[in-house]
Amino acid sequence: MSRALLHPSRIPFLALALAFGLLFGAVVPLQRRAPALGGAGLEDRVLLLPPAAALRVASLGFHGTAADAVWLLTIQYIGGHLGSDRRFSELKRLVETVVVLDPHFVDAYTLGALFLSYSAGDIAGSIALLERGVRANPTRWEIPHDLARTYYLDLKDYRKALHWFEVTDRLPGRPHYVPRFVARLYAATGERETALELWRAMRESATSDWVREIAEREIAKLEGNRAGAKDAPAR
Amino acid sequence: MKIAAIALNTFREAVRDRILYTILVFAMLLIGASVVLATLSIGQEGKIVKDLGLASGSLFGTFIAIFLGIGLVSKEIERRTLYAIVAKPIYRFQFLLGKYIGLTLTLLLTVGVMALLVAGLAWAVDGHWTPGLLLAAALDFLALMIVTAVAILFSTFSTPTLSAMFTLAVFVIGRLSGDLRLFAEQFAGPGLRQVVEGMYLILPDLSRFQIGSQVVHGLPVAPAGVLAAATYGLAYVLVLLLVAIGIFERRDFK
Repeated sequence: MSRALLHPSRIPFLALALAFGLLFGAVVPLQRRAPALGGAGLEDRVLLLPPAAALRVASLGFHGTAADAVWLLTIQYIGGHLGSDRRFSELKRLVETVVVLDPHFVDAYTLGALFLSYSAGDIAGSIALLERGVRANPTRWEIPHDLARTYYLDLKDYRKALHWFEVTDRLPGRPHYVPRFVARLYAATGERETALELWRAMRESATSDWVREIAEREIAKLEGNRAGAKDAPAR
Repeated sequence: MKIAAIALNTFREAVRDRILYTILVFAMLLIGASVVLATLSIGQEGKIVKDLGLASGSLFGTFIAIFLGIGLVSKEIERRTLYAIVAKPIYRFQFLLGKYIGLTLTLLLTVGVMALLVAGLAWAVDGHWTPGLLLAAALDFLALMIVTAVAILFSTFSTPTLSAMFTLAVFVIGRLSGDLRLFAEQFAGPGLRQVVEGMYLILPDLSRFQIGSQVVHGLPVAPAGVLAAATYGLAYVLVLLLVAIGIFERRDFK
């Protein structure tokens, strides 16, 4: 190598050029192609997620941020499995971790319960999660509302649905249709109309395509049955 | 007057420090990145921006408090400028208080900038102001005042490296003290419980200053709790500074 090339004034330029050359010639292609040794795929990250209690300590009081990180992992997990095998064996653990870290994260209860019911088929898990949410957030209408909806639509337990709609009715900010549902449940009429209205409300307020898809699927089912079936009494 | 002059000088020195800008740039990048990260959530944009923004402010503020705080006294000794200062008609406590106030002003500026950035981003995402964010940042600032006082206390008798390690340890214990007390109440025997309770009462409880969760979820924040936390924070800072002054006054600089 000539002395002129290694002149002190040129060394910084050469070092930077070499660094950029290595970055885009070696580091980036290797990162793109070679699998990570530690197995840092989505499934591994989900399976190796520490217990919620350990995460609470490790997050040094930044519980909200830790909950957000696990929530983002949960979203990736749901998205990954919705597009593949539609099996959600770790979903309950993920959502429970989120709500242990941030007990006031209302959407984690409601969306988590929705996916547990309609994607994982775990209605008992969904109810347990929502009941936990009600205990942690007694002033929020969304969670008892979803409990009422689950009892009404999935379990056809109209007595419990009525109880949770009544709880929702007493809370500030509840949707305008709740008193009407309470009345209908007392009058024991209009099951299909109530179900349709609940799903339509969910479709309108959905913040993601996944939720909208579930609502549209259930609306289509109910509207498909409308022509043939006579509206059954609510109780 | 002398304290004010030292404070102003410390503030000027700190705002010229590259460490401050490096940490501030990283903090602002992280706060800005929270907006991108938030788009990956389902309808949780506002929550993620606020959570990450408040956490970044608190964490990077702590880094600033530690890295600048540990050098306040030791740098003066290293550069031998302290010898010139102590030879002048100035009390040592005035020097220490001036240093502390100067760094606190620097922190106020940086934490203020970060808090305004978070509040602005949250407004852009949510479409409405969340004034509670500024209150949460103010309480975080009180916690940072304690961390700064701890850093200064250690820097009066220890090396910068050890001071940084000790201050970081106190920060970690302070953030966890509430949880540790809870664990001890549930699982420990009576002896250990008393030890933990004693440590909880003496060591700084930084979890007292965390109202981020209530603010992010729009839950009410009790004014009495804020007042109690502020009083506790200021009293704790005073205790730390008095201990630091006691040690610094007795230190032999020959």
